[in-house]
This record gives sequence, structure tokens and C-alpha cells, in this order.
Amino acid sequence: MSRDESKLLYAESHEWVDLAEEDGKAVGTIGLSGFALEQLNDLVYMELPELGRELTAGEEFGEVESVKAVSPLYSPVSGKVVAVHEDLPESLEKLNDDPYEFGWIVKVEISGENSVESLLDHAAYQKQCAEAG
Amino acid sequence: MMNTRRGSAASLGPIVGRLISLATAGAAENMAIDQAILDSVTRTGVPVLRFYQWAEPTLSLGYFQELAARAAHVQSDSICCVRRTTGGGAIVHDQELTYSVTIPVPPGSAGPRSVLYEQTHAAIAEALANFGAQAVPFRCTGLEPPSESRNSQFLCFQRRTAEDLIVSGYKVLGSAQRKSRTAVLQHGSLLLCTSLYAPQIPGVSDLLSRPLNVEQLVPQIVANLSEKLGVDWQLGTLSDEEVYDAEQIRRERFDSPLWTTRR
Repeated sequence: MSRDESKLLYAESHEWVDLAEEDGKAVGTIGLSGFALEQLNDLVYMELPELGRELTAGEEFGEVESVKAVSPLYSPVSGKVVAVHEDLPESLEKLNDDPYEFGWIVKVEISGENSVESLLDHAAYQKQCAEAG
Repeated sequence: MMNTRRGSAASLGPIVGRLISLATAGAAENMAIDQAILDSVTRTGVPVLRFYQWAEPTLSLGYFQELAARAAHVQSDSICCVRRTTGGGAIVHDQELTYSVTIPVPPGSAGPRSVLYEQTHAAIAEALANFGAQAVPFRCTGLEPPSESRNSQFLCFQRRTAEDLIVSGYKVLGSAQRKSRTAVLQHGSLLLCTSLYAPQIPGVSDLLSRPLNVEQLVPQIVANLSEKLGVDWQLGTLSDEEVYDAEQIRRERFDSPLWTTRR
């Protein structure tokens, strides 16, 4: 069953994060929203971060290419990369069909109590997308 | 699949932008200046338009291309090589006019700025028309969309995307982009003549059978781009900060073998 996108938090830069507790630790699973994938149109490359890398919220953690344009991916949370969806760069054609389940990119063990405060809930994110046209 | 998404008008203005005159530099310096400009436009929001040429024939790789793929094109294997930060295929920069246009974008904008491809290429096509060249975007040629294998070819000019400019069936202009959080850099190559290092690809002058005067062409592109983007391009220079940043970026990135060989 796919993640319920209405329960996720979103960065202004279109990454979603699903917050959960795993083995007593706060873990955020991160992906790109369906809206962003539609705008990106035909992803051809994706670069992922290394396992163990420490990320700060707002920092670039990867890159994608579509229509000859390279765009950074920004981490919505701070913490350590504890899992990477290694198969994803070879299966980008499947992303649009299932951005919230198959399309997870990394999992981050969250550090810092306030690192999710600036994120948008689904309604606020939908409003941003509607305004962007 | 071809990208057919095209936005509405990309007008930024009225706004004043900075025009950097046509100049020639080395490969790493050219790429470093474009990156320094992207960083500066990200900070300031002031658009920059730049024209340049290359001190020596150079092969530039698209950001995600593997260096080993050079083996697919033996004619260019002796010339210097630089990795771009922008996407797309490899380009032999030799007999060409290169431009870069860097503009602010709203925070939260996603994906390529297709309208910037469209309007910049329209500005160049209109300028070329004054020299007798009928250049049209590939999407308007009525030609079949290219196969996936064609669009995986090593050289950019052997691929086809919707906004590429086509003259007499040949691609003469291709562009690529790099985004930051609040700006986008787009640079592109207008082929003037066939290069010895890419003899299979003609330039506009070859197709017109007469030379194209770059000094006359550039002001027309500037005027057309001013109208389309709503930017009053004022002649300027790189700022001290951009010069400093470009030098750092050149040394640490584009001149570094680690950068070139990273894939």
C-alpha cells in the first residue's frame, strides 16, 4: 500500500518526508513529490548521497537531470543518511507511477529537535503548488 | 519521450540586467565564470547575459556523462576536455558562438525552465533570420520524435530535443541548464562552421554557404532577448566577487582531474 501523501510533510523545494520511529529512533524517509516529478518531466539521471553522510536541513543531498537541466535535491531534515534507494537511478521511469512508495530516495536518522518545524503540511504544500501553476 | 511542456511568457521585467561582452577564454575559465554568475544571480536576483568563445577546441561533457564515453567519438579524442555542470550530451566547442543567460526563478519552482529554452532560442532564430537562415525549433519541423537510442548519442548535436534549433534538417543550436534554489543558468552553443574535430556536423555558415558575422549577430540576439524576457541588458563587467569566485571554482572544480573523471 502506498504512503498517504496527505500525512507527509513537504519542503518548499518539493521533497516529501515521512516521519516514523524505527528501533526507537526518529527516521525520515525522503522522496520527491508527484507535482515535482510532473514538472521535471522525463528524469534521465539521479545521483544519490553516500550512506552515513551527515545532512543539514536545506542542504543538497543529490541531483537529477531532466530535459538537459540539472537540479539539486534538498534535504528537508537534518541527520545521518541510514538508507539509500540504490535501485532508483536505474528505474527512474517507475517514479512517476509511485512517487510516495517506490519513489523513496533516502532515509535519514533525524538529529535536532526543531529540524521539521519549517516544513509544510499537505494542505499548505498543495496551496504552494496551485500558486506555482 | 520528447519534452513538449512549454510555459507561458517568461518575462521578468521590466528589470535591468547585466550584459557581459563577447570574450574568449579557456574551457575551465568559461565554465567557472558561468558557475560564479549562477551563484551571484542566486544571491542578487539580477539577470546576466554573457557571450563567449573558446581559446582552443574543447570537448565539454554533460554533467552526468561518463568520461569513458569519449571513446565513441574518435575525431575529438585529442582535444582538451571539461565537464559541465549542465545536462545533455557532449559538445565540441570550436567554430561556435556560446551564450549563457542566468535569471532568477521563484523559490519552489521545480524542473527545467522550458520557457527559457523556448524564448532564448526564439530570440536567436529571429536574429538568424536577418542573415537568411530559417531556424526552427525541432518540435515545429514535423520530423518524427527521435528514438531513445538517438537521444543517447554521445554528442549533443546528434540528439534532438523539442527546442533545439534546426536549419535545413541540421541542429545548429542546443542549450542546457543548471538550477540553484532561486536561479537558473542556461548556456548554449550556436554552431557557426564545421569543426575539424566534429566533421559530421555542419554550422550555420556551412548551411548558408557564406560567413556569419558574430559581431553583427550578437547585438540582435541581445535586443530580441531584451524584448522576450523584459530585461534591459546594460553593458557591464564581472564583479570583483564574481572574478574571485570564478578563479576559485576554476582551480577547485573545472581544472581538477577529479571533477573531469568523476564519472
